[in-house]
Amino acid sequence: MTLLAHSLATALYLFAAFLGWTHRSTRGGFRGVSFVIAFATVIHALGFYGLHLQTPPVPMSSFPAALSLIGWLIALAWLFSLRRLHMRDAGPWVGLLAAAFTLSAEIGLQLDAPAASTLPEPVAWSHAHVLLGTSGFALLALSSMAGLGYLAKERALKRRRGFAQSLPSLESLDRGEHLTLALGFALLTLGVATGFAWGLRQGLDPWTSHSFFLLAAWAVYLVPVGARVVRQQQGAWPARGVVWSFAFLAFSYIGIRLLGAGA
Amino acid sequence: MKLFVAGMSYRTAPVAVRERYAVTPAQLAERDAKLVRSASLDEGAILSTCNRTEILGVSRAGEAALERMHRFLHAELGDGSAAAAHVYELRDGEVVRHLFRVAGGLDSMVLGEAQILGQLKLAYRAAVDARTTGPVLNRLFQHAFRTAKRIHHETGLGAASVSVARVGVQLAREIFESFDGKQVLLIGAGEMAESALRGLREAGASHPRVVNRTLATAVELAGRHGGTAHPMESLAEELARADVAISSVQVDRPLIGRPELERALAHRRGHPLLLIDLGVPRNVDTAVQALENVYVYDLDDLEATAERGRASRASAADAAGAIAREEGDRFLHWLAVLPHAPTIRELRERLEAQALDEVRRTVSRLGAPGESLEPELERMARAIVAKLLHQPLEQLRREASSGFAQYYAGALRELFGLEEEDP
Repeated sequence: MTLLAHSLATALYLFAAFLGWTHRSTRGGFRGVSFVIAFATVIHALGFYGLHLQTPPVPMSSFPAALSLIGWLIALAWLFSLRRLHMRDAGPWVGLLAAAFTLSAEIGLQLDAPAASTLPEPVAWSHAHVLLGTSGFALLALSSMAGLGYLAKERALKRRRGFAQSLPSLESLDRGEHLTLALGFALLTLGVATGFAWGLRQGLDPWTSHSFFLLAAWAVYLVPVGARVVRQQQGAWPARGVVWSFAFLAFSYIGIRLLGAGA
Repeated sequence: MKLFVAGMSYRTAPVAVRERYAVTPAQLAERDAKLVRSASLDEGAILSTCNRTEILGVSRAGEAALERMHRFLHAELGDGSAAAAHVYELRDGEVVRHLFRVAGGLDSMVLGEAQILGQLKLAYRAAVDARTTGPVLNRLFQHAFRTAKRIHHETGLGAASVSVARVGVQLAREIFESFDGKQVLLIGAGEMAESALRGLREAGASHPRVVNRTLATAVELAGRHGGTAHPMESLAEELARADVAISSVQVDRPLIGRPELERALAHRRGHPLLLIDLGVPRNVDTAVQALENVYVYDLDDLEATAERGRASRASAADAAGAIAREEGDRFLHWLAVLPHAPTIRELRERLEAQALDEVRRTVSRLGAPGESLEPELERMARAIVAKLLHQPLEQLRREASSGFAQYYAGALRELFGLEEEDP
């Protein structure tokens, strides 16, 4: 059921992206995208439930489960942002990003199932670490997506080429980037803190390459957070900061694991 | 009588070229007079707007006149920098249909815009002041104005909402999610800028700030839109707080340069600024575009946005195009009859004079009782002449465009012994 739910959710996210790009200028198109993404998140949630039904259950702290959670949170965050932020045009991009994470999780679940059970026994700290860190990661992924959108739109506006009309306005992208950065960074901070606490309680060495890089990524994020959240700097500069910081965070979180150094 | 146009528009020349050939409204009359003198034209007028600079000429001299118009365009209006591809030339029927399309806004960057009609009227007034118009241009301009009215009335093209206003709003929406609390700055009190401001206000922008060289004009414009007026000296200060700035000032060199804008925007913390430059010559230095978070759009850039709107109003444009063609044909018919007007006039006058002579002779023969009948008899004589002439003159008019008219006119002269030769 887990794999089937993940496959179905991936297909629905991709369909939402396709629908969004082909019917982007119509109100019906937007409603269709929202509906399909909402439906995909429900199917996706069933996939999570399936993880617990497996024998042995796949812990949320496993890498594929975390990837899946990121994809789910990205879709969910966008759905919740619709009322407050003018980000409806970002629907297709959200669908694509959620599909990418869900598909990676599905592949990971197929390849990496035994590894999941070798992790230390889950405790409350580990759950907190994974949930907070993953939620932070998902929001920062959205933030970097808004930043990338901002830079793409800015470039199109500067070059006067069609104004990249499939993207929301610069102001909406900037506001979306600001909110997700502030919230994502707060959650990431808590995720990093609870991760260290979990390691200390388990008597593990807190200075693994994974924890070192995550801490470094957190420190890197201080620059765009300082500029955008504290100094209220707007525009292309913080957008670039957010995109580069997320690239480093993604490398710290995913790249290190893929390189086999993320103990 | 030949009609010519030599000129350039946004379709053939970029704004960087057009701005070097622009003529200010104040210079128009003087240039019109110079045009007619130096190009040896019978009649002439210059139309110079943000999107075009065109010379209209009427001459009996044929192609040589067009040659001289080209020389005048390059040497007197511009700096000679335009390439051959930038300049177009039109003749006779093409001129008439082109002018009618221009008047109706069909050749405008923003399809159907009504502002061009005002600019055309300005060009005509200047030519009348310079005494460079005659029977052909007077009639041509008047007919163009009527055609424009007909197009706007019958097709719905030209509503304010489809003008620069709409393009400005569309651009601003790419940058701002709403216009609530956004600061709109108007630099100059031009009609085009006001049209753009109107669009932004309809979209939700409020309390515009107007900066102008003549403060009284700024006060008047600001009053109309619930805004505030400021002197031109405070431009840097106003730019620092603006979200959208629309500039349309007649200048010789850019009003907003990169160093000044950099200083003005130093404390904005990356807040975006949309600069819509409606001026020709351009009001904003091209180097400004390189500044981060500043988005400059000149008239050429607006063309791309307008193109999308143009497609959506294609059916209305087709109907408007048909009107322009129909009215163009009418004018051309009138123009074709024009050389035979002296023949028609002379024939009518001669026959009327002979008929009235007969009436007077008859009245004098009848004596006193007949005198009270004289006005009635004169009216009757005129009516008989008109009825007799109706058929042959109609035939002459009908055949005017075909070339047979000169044979009919020759026959009439021969048969009735008319002396005056047609020009």
